[in-house]
Amino acid sequence: MSGALRLDDVAMSFGGVQAVAGVSFAVDTGDFVGLIGPNGAGKTTLIRIMAGLLRPDRGRVALAGRDVTGEGTAARVRRGLALTHQIVRPFREMTVLDNVVLAAGYRHTSSPLRALLHVDRRDESERSAAILAQVGLAGTERKLAGSLPLGQMKRLEVARALAVDPKVILLDEPLAGLNHTEATKQVETISQVHMRGITVVLVEHNLEEVMRICRRLIVLNNGAVIGDGEPRAIMANPVVHDAYVGSGRATHADA
Amino acid sequence: MYYVDLAVTGISFGCMYAMMAVGLTLVYGLLRILHVAHAAVFALGAYITVLAANAIGSLALGFLASVVVTPIFGMAIYRLLYEPLLKYRPDVPMIASVGLLVLMQDAFRIVFGEQGITFRHNPLSFTTFNVSGITVSAVQIAIIVAAAVVFAGLHVFTTRTRIGIGWRATVSRPQIAASFGIDPIKVRYLNFAIGSALAALAGGLVGLLNNFVDPGIGFVVSYKALAIIVLGGLGSVRGTLVASLVLGLVEAYGTIFIGAWLDRDAIAFLALIVMLMIRPQGFTGARTA
Amino acid sequence: MSAYQISIVSIIGINVILAVSLNMISGFCGQISLGHAAFFGAGAYAAAVVMVGTASVPLAIVAALVAGSLLGIVVGFASLRVRTDFLAVTTIGVNFLFIGFVRKQAWLGGEMGISGIPATGLGAAGNMIMILLFAAATIALSLYISRSWMGFAFRAVGEDEGAAATIGINAAAYKLAAFGIGTALAGLAGGLYAFFTQFITADAFDFILSVTLMAMVVIGGIGSTWGVVVGAAALTLLPEAIRFVNDYRLLVYGGLLVLVIRLVPGGLAALAQNVLLRVRRS
Repeated sequence: MSGALRLDDVAMSFGGVQAVAGVSFAVDTGDFVGLIGPNGAGKTTLIRIMAGLLRPDRGRVALAGRDVTGEGTAARVRRGLALTHQIVRPFREMTVLDNVVLAAGYRHTSSPLRALLHVDRRDESERSAAILAQVGLAGTERKLAGSLPLGQMKRLEVARALAVDPKVILLDEPLAGLNHTEATKQVETISQVHMRGITVVLVEHNLEEVMRICRRLIVLNNGAVIGDGEPRAIMANPVVHDAYVGSGRATHADA
Repeated sequence: MYYVDLAVTGISFGCMYAMMAVGLTLVYGLLRILHVAHAAVFALGAYITVLAANAIGSLALGFLASVVVTPIFGMAIYRLLYEPLLKYRPDVPMIASVGLLVLMQDAFRIVFGEQGITFRHNPLSFTTFNVSGITVSAVQIAIIVAAAVVFAGLHVFTTRTRIGIGWRATVSRPQIAASFGIDPIKVRYLNFAIGSALAALAGGLVGLLNNFVDPGIGFVVSYKALAIIVLGGLGSVRGTLVASLVLGLVEAYGTIFIGAWLDRDAIAFLALIVMLMIRPQGFTGARTA
Repeated sequence: MSAYQISIVSIIGINVILAVSLNMISGFCGQISLGHAAFFGAGAYAAAVVMVGTASVPLAIVAALVAGSLLGIVVGFASLRVRTDFLAVTTIGVNFLFIGFVRKQAWLGGEMGISGIPATGLGAAGNMIMILLFAAATIALSLYISRSWMGFAFRAVGEDEGAAATIGINAAAYKLAAFGIGTALAGLAGGLYAFFTQFITADAFDFILSVTLMAMVVIGGIGSTWGVVVGAAALTLLPEAIRFVNDYRLLVYGGLLVLVIRLVPGGLAALAQNVLLRVRRS
């Protein structure tokens, strides 16, 4: 079974520390997965491996059945992956609209030669304006991306991710740094994204929200998966509890 | 014994490069700026050494004057040029630095003349020693001794004195140092002061070596120093010292093998580019990503 | 037009090509290159050798373009391997490597350079017109790239390569493209220069020239094609118009570079935009 995204025995260590230790799971099309775990569990490393920002020491990453382990981020994006960053990275010197338009033009920018031969931006501009309206950023088009408050920047990240027509979206701590109102709005946006049929995998610390929206939780601790299933069952699982409370007594073998 | 002569030459040049390059790596380590104008500091140091020595009549006092005055210039560069530009990406102050170098070089030409100046009394210049077949010049010895003294002193300073330790801490961990009450601004001035003093010393010694200082004195050494700090790992003083000595030796011996198809001065850059292809982080690796 | 005027206009044309092409690499794509003189030199030498050998102008032009871009792509690959700070130093080094290498090659004239390069047969005025046509073409290309998706992608790569990757832009490919195109044009300028002077030495293509070219770009307004054109013309004319500037050329160039960066980092283009904004508001 191929699924939208699949990890096979992925492992990675940094200077002697095993950050990710043989992780395997498959995400089906339309899934809404939350990747959780205590600090240092390896969530960030794992998501960076999925995004193509890091190359694992061993294991495979596959998108829609296709092995992309050797491919960089840009290539994976063109295969239907999209991602947002934990620390926002908009193109600050460009307008909000241009940020999204450039993403929307991903077909034109696939190679420099192609990019050289295309000038027209009208279609992409229309699409982008629509996407900005969807994420609640209508009216900010002409502002410089660098001038937005954090909450809006995070929504811009989602808009940019949507513009590349993704099949799978990776969200790295989409609620980090947001106050309650902003977080609620962001959660709404993410839900809407999922309702369009896009597979969502997110890493998040804010357990309350994660519980509400995710259909499936995968729990990491010390670089390994210690739980995978429906949110309520997972949260009731004593192994997961221990991992968070930090007693360290629960081990993989006990689960 | 020719090869040993070459070794001495290589080491003395390496020492000189080191004194010049350390200032550069210190600035980079602290501010992420490529202080290309450091070459102008070096040249100024050379000029002041000669002029002061000629005016006062003492070589030692000439050096002293240079080592005391040149840092003022170095610190001024920080205050007037770099500080206001820190808010931009690092390319910006670097380009400004390049502009300043070009400007200063021409200024030296206009003020001190194209022909260059020389020491009026240079007791060391032509003194050479012959030790069991090895020829060593007094100036080479002076350079090596000066470098040894200076770097030993620097080591003591940064490990035994409060100011020195504070300085080292700030360079490697700016946030932590600030929370210990160390004033980062003072550290920056100290950085430029020490780096400039070293460059001035190196400049004076080069002037002594050639018995000649002209406007172009800084040029080639400055670019080599840039190559050196990259090779040594940007921001690493130890790496810079190692790279300096290695380059000095490579140049001395290298001209024998490659001198037929490449200028001596270009060897540094060839080494740099070859190194970057094989090991993009430099010898010892860059401090931070 | 007098011979003097033809000569000045020719130099302006060549400098415009150089500045606009450097702007593509450093302005559009954000890759600071302080080695542009080396590509200029590579083109000049290639054209000179071909002219001496075959006296064929078209062949010499092609050779110049190819030489410039080959060296440029090699440096471009270097830019991929190293971080931004290293890139600047590497491009500075390219100047020294180029001169250090050429000066030792007997077949390239060694330290004496190549003299007596055959004339193009177009005469001084004809050469000038050829230069101006190429300059116009370069400007047109630059304006087109700026408006195209390539220019759009360049800007993203120049600002944040990682973020560019997350929207499907392969930064490495674009950096190579920027270097390839920019340095090919620099090589072309070199060929035109060889036709113009009929005598070249390696020392002319040194780091100082690279700095002067960067000064033209910065003063004109990094990123702005027309700004850079004005910058090139201005810095070429200034020494001719003002005797003082001619004697203290580097002092003025260096000084202007420092002043512009300190006070108006966006250069003349930014100044012009400010003025326009104020005019529109009032």
